[in-house]
This record gives sequence, structure tokens and C-alpha cells, in this order.
Amino acid sequence: MSTLASQSQHTIQIEKLRKSYSEQTAGDVHYIIKDVNLVIKGGEFFVLLGPSGCGKSTLLNMIAGFVSKSGGNLKVDNVEIDRPGRDRAVVFQQADSSLFPWLTVRENVEFGLRMKKTPKAERRKISDRYIGLVGLNGHEEKFPKELSGGMKQRVQLARVLANDPAILLMDEPFGALDAMTRRTMQKELVNIWRETHKTVIFVTHDIQEALLLGERIGIMSVGPSSNITDIYDNALPFPRDVASPEFYSLYNQIQGHFEE
Amino acid sequence: MKWVEKKWVSVSLLWIAALGIWQLGAAIYGPDVIPGPWATLKGGRELVSDGTLMQYIGISFYRVLVGWVLGSLLAVPVGLIIGKVNIIRIFAEPFLNFIRFIPPIAFITLFLVWFGIGEQSKIALIMYATFFIVVLNTLTGVMSVEEDKIRSARSMGASEWQILLHVIVPATTPYIFTGIRLAMGTSYMAIIGAEMIASNEGVGYLIWNSRLFFRTDWIFVGLFCLGFMGFFTDRLFGWFGRRVLYRYGVVSVAARKR
Repeated sequence: MSTLASQSQHTIQIEKLRKSYSEQTAGDVHYIIKDVNLVIKGGEFFVLLGPSGCGKSTLLNMIAGFVSKSGGNLKVDNVEIDRPGRDRAVVFQQADSSLFPWLTVRENVEFGLRMKKTPKAERRKISDRYIGLVGLNGHEEKFPKELSGGMKQRVQLARVLANDPAILLMDEPFGALDAMTRRTMQKELVNIWRETHKTVIFVTHDIQEALLLGERIGIMSVGPSSNITDIYDNALPFPRDVASPEFYSLYNQIQGHFEE
Repeated sequence: MKWVEKKWVSVSLLWIAALGIWQLGAAIYGPDVIPGPWATLKGGRELVSDGTLMQYIGISFYRVLVGWVLGSLLAVPVGLIIGKVNIIRIFAEPFLNFIRFIPPIAFITLFLVWFGIGEQSKIALIMYATFFIVVLNTLTGVMSVEEDKIRSARSMGASEWQILLHVIVPATTPYIFTGIRLAMGTSYMAIIGAEMIASNEGVGYLIWNSRLFFRTDWIFVGLFCLGFMGFFTDRLFGWFGRRVLYRYGVVSVAARKR
């Protein structure tokens, strides 16, 4: 019984998952991703690493429930996923296209709670907490256009955390940030993850970012019919040191995949 | 020459220049062809003193306002539905793009036959002039809502109805606003046409009827009234947009540089 209980901690199970945008089901079908098998444990920080166009965003969007599957199984806690849900929050790459510019920082963070009709006082308490957690105190009444790129991504993070999702799906969220801001955001994400115990699936094409963040790193092959070819365990302690020999050797190993 | 760049200086200079050219034209061609500023003012005083001008402005304004408001109220939900529901859009779009090229004036006779010679036909004409512009703008707005916004709302637990209300409508607001504002212009054009042909009051009637007495100064008065009516309602609406709809990103063409 105890093993079952630990398994049902928001475990994501993916079996022979496929996606194709063509109508035909037999013969020479063009698959974006084909026969992906993956199990992600609850509370894990999993990184999907691969070059552009390998289908990692497609896989993430399928877990989010935005994109329907063409075959295989995709379950969270043994329940098949066929639509977006409050349990799976998404942090998008472009904050400008996903934040609501007509709402203030606080109103953006409270959006999900308002949809759920949470009473105002409680909403305020929760938004205060997460705005504080992402370090946006004092910016509550600002509109997104008054914020920098990094701050906008903080708003996105606070906005999804306020809904208390089990799983955080992050699609290259720091890809558009400058190097210094990115580094700060990576550190803070690790802290937030350790504080909130969410399951995180983080998509990136940056090997260093993958190594800084992930407990496990799944390497995706170049499409079409792409797949997770290898999974690396990364047990280096946090905060991770880019200059350490262990980091360097792991970096080289992973880079080897993309050089052939 | 810094003083020329001051706004009140340049604006007054412009007005003085315009009045000068106007007066010059009047002096060259005679008051029957181009009534000068003074003659126009006198004609205007005449029309104000017996109360007709204010009454005409009032009735034209009333027609535009009622038709424009009703037309917009009808058009916004229609635009939202057409934009949101693919199947409806596939059928509606060619139809919309066909009918929007038919100017309101072309419908005057038909509207008189359908709605009678009273106020209804004029208001219906303004509604027609408003409707398609607002529908098309709303539709464009709905189509350009970023997918990420809808997706993020959905994964935060918003229902389809909540997405419409809390994401699509606010994201579309600047488009709706622009559509309604443009529609005001076509509404004035339509009402003047209608009043010329089928009315015995209103600014359009004044302009058209003045030809019988060869009162070109009255025509000038009518033109000025139209310009000012349009100008002030547009400014008022733009001001309202900037004030009330600021957070939705409604910007005005007349917005000053900061």
C-alpha cells in the first residue's frame, strides 16, 4: 500500500505517446513525436533538453492538455489527460503574450482564484504570499507593461503558483531574458521549487540551464518522430556550481549527444 | 523662433491663416459662390435667432447617437460570436465582406419603404452604417487574441464563458473601441444623406434646403456645424476611452506626446 501511495503523488506516466498532425492513421505518417515513454515522479524537477524543433514543446503542450495525442497513454495519477486542468500550470516563454496587460500584477496573480470565486480577503492573502515569494513586493499595483522581462516572468510564476498546482510546466521561460537576469531567475526557481515541492517539467535547449536546474534530464532527439533517447541523473547538490569538475564532465557528456 | 513651436501660437496662426484664405476666396469669387467668414457668421446668427439651428443640430445629433449606440450594442456581441465560433465565421465572413462595400446611402430608398418615413428609417440607416464596421473590428480583435492568453486562462481553471468574459472581451476592447469610433464618422455621413433626401429637419436638411433660396452662407453654417459636432463627439469619446479604458490599452490618435 505504501508504494502505491507514494506513486500517486502526482506521477506523470507517459507510454508510447505519439503526435501527428496528419489525418491518416496507417502507412507513411509524419510524427512530431513518436513512442515517447517517460515516468516523472511527484516532486521531481525534470528537464526536457533538445534542439529547436525536436517536439519538446509539443510534448509539454500535450501534458498541459492543449494538444491532443494521436496515440499512446498520458496519465497523471492514473487519470488520462485530455484537457487543460488547474493541477497542471503552464509558464509560457513569452510573458507578453500570456499575461493579461489590462490587469495589475496583483490582479494577474489573483486571476485563477477569481475564476474559482475565492473570497476577496483570501485572494489577497494568497496573492500577497506568492508576490512575496517571487520578490515582487511593492510592484502589486503596476501593469505588466511597466515591468522588465524578468519581472514579467516572476508575475507568470506567481500567477500559476497562486492556484496551487501539483505540476509546473515551463516552456523555455527564461529564453528571452538577458544572461544575468536568467541566472538570477534560475536560482530563484530552484529555491521556489524546493520550498513548494511542485513537480516541474522544464523545457530548454540550453545545456547549462538544464544542468543547473534538473534532477533528471531527458534528451530529445531531432525530429521528425522524435523521442527521449537518454535520461541523465543529475545528483549534484544545490546550489550548483558551473565551475565544478562534476558539472563540467556532465556538460561534456550531454554535449556529445548534439555534436554528431 | 522657439515661440512658433508653442501650441497655442501655432494653432492661432493656423486659424488666422485659414480665415485669411477663406476671406480672400470670398473677396475674389463673391459672396454667392463663397460666403466669407463674416457672411457665414451673419447667416448663422439668423438661424440661431429663430431657433432652427439648435433644433436641427439637436435632431441630427439625436439620430446619430441613437442609431450609433444601438448599432454598436448589437454589433459587439455579434462580432464576438462570429470571431469565437469558427463555423459561424466561415459562413459570415464572405457575407460581411460583401455587404460592407454597400454604402448606407444606397439603402435610403429601401429603408424608407421598409421602415417608413419617420425616425425609424433614419435610425435604422445609422445602425446599418455602424454595424458592419464595429462587427469587423470586433471580429478582428477576437481573432488576434494570443493563443497563450486563452491557454493560460484555461489551465488556471477558467470556463469557456469566463474566458470570453475575462480574456477575450478585455483583450478585444481596443479593437471594439476603434470600430465604434470609426463608425461615428460613417454615421454622420449617413445621416446627412438621409436628411437630404427624406427629412424636413436636421443639419442635412438645412444644407440641402438652402439651395432653394441660394443661401450658400447657410450651407456653410451647416458644414461648420457638422464639423464641430463630429469633432467634439470624437474628442469626447476619445477622452472617455483614455480615461475609463486606459488599462485595456485604448490609445487615442489625439493623445498627446509625453
